[in-house]
Amino acid sequence: MPLTRGQSLRTETHLRVERWEGTSRGAPALRGTSLNKTIAVLIPAIFAQAVGNVFLSMRMKEIGDTHLLSLLPLAIESPTLWLGTALLIVSFILFAAALSWADLSFVLPAVSVEVVVNVVFASYFLNEIVSLTRWTGVLLISIGLILVLRSEREKERQKRHKLLEGSTQ
Amino acid sequence: MATIILADSAGDVFLTKGMKEVGEISTINPRTLLAIGRKVIGNRSFLAGIFFISIFFFSFLIVLSWADLSFVFPAKSLVYVVSTLGAKWILKETVPLQRWGGIFLVCLGVALISLP
Repeated sequence: MPLTRGQSLRTETHLRVERWEGTSRGAPALRGTSLNKTIAVLIPAIFAQAVGNVFLSMRMKEIGDTHLLSLLPLAIESPTLWLGTALLIVSFILFAAALSWADLSFVLPAVSVEVVVNVVFASYFLNEIVSLTRWTGVLLISIGLILVLRSEREKERQKRHKLLEGSTQ
Repeated sequence: MATIILADSAGDVFLTKGMKEVGEISTINPRTLLAIGRKVIGNRSFLAGIFFISIFFFSFLIVLSWADLSFVFPAKSLVYVVSTLGAKWILKETVPLQRWGGIFLVCLGVALISLP
């Protein structure tokens, strides 16, 4: 019976799509498409990294210009340095987690936002003067990021399309 | 400088390979995450990634002690391009033209920012 067959096909399509979307199920906070999940993990990674860097350079500037070895005892005593390092570790763990499902060719440029955030934080919290060249760099990175994001969205659309096609064959 | 860029890129590629071998993390259950963490630490590709990143870090420190900062920092941004080549050739990721364009712009932007 053609009608039943069509119905069963539709159900199967449904199931496949559900299975695909289900890759990020099990974690309510992370539910959604895989791109959303990647972004949800990378944003805290980028902020942890940026705040960590601010802590580190704040403390290092207080210490001043020293030798690497004479720094060690100072570093162990300083809670700011510990906090900064801990944040960098958290950021690394999140970065690695995102790589467990996302493309390296997407995650790597995506994480370059951290360079932009670092410049903004440095100018805001550390009162560093940011040159015009740097702001040009910020602009270029931003355009690059938009392109990378668009390519990822396109790839995801194609992946979804392929799954739908595969299930109707 | 070549050692720095290659080591950093190799680190990225191996790290990704290891994480892909462990599989997609799709839980926030602490106990499961701990088990995944243990699996990650025991993964050879992941450890190779950490090894290369350490090589990168120390060679970077060494180079910083003698080389010109205005050369080292911008040159380091080539990692974006080299890692993407690694992702394409070794990890078999498809890299569309639009993404290549974006990565080149990011590379250029990072180079500009890291000029002293």
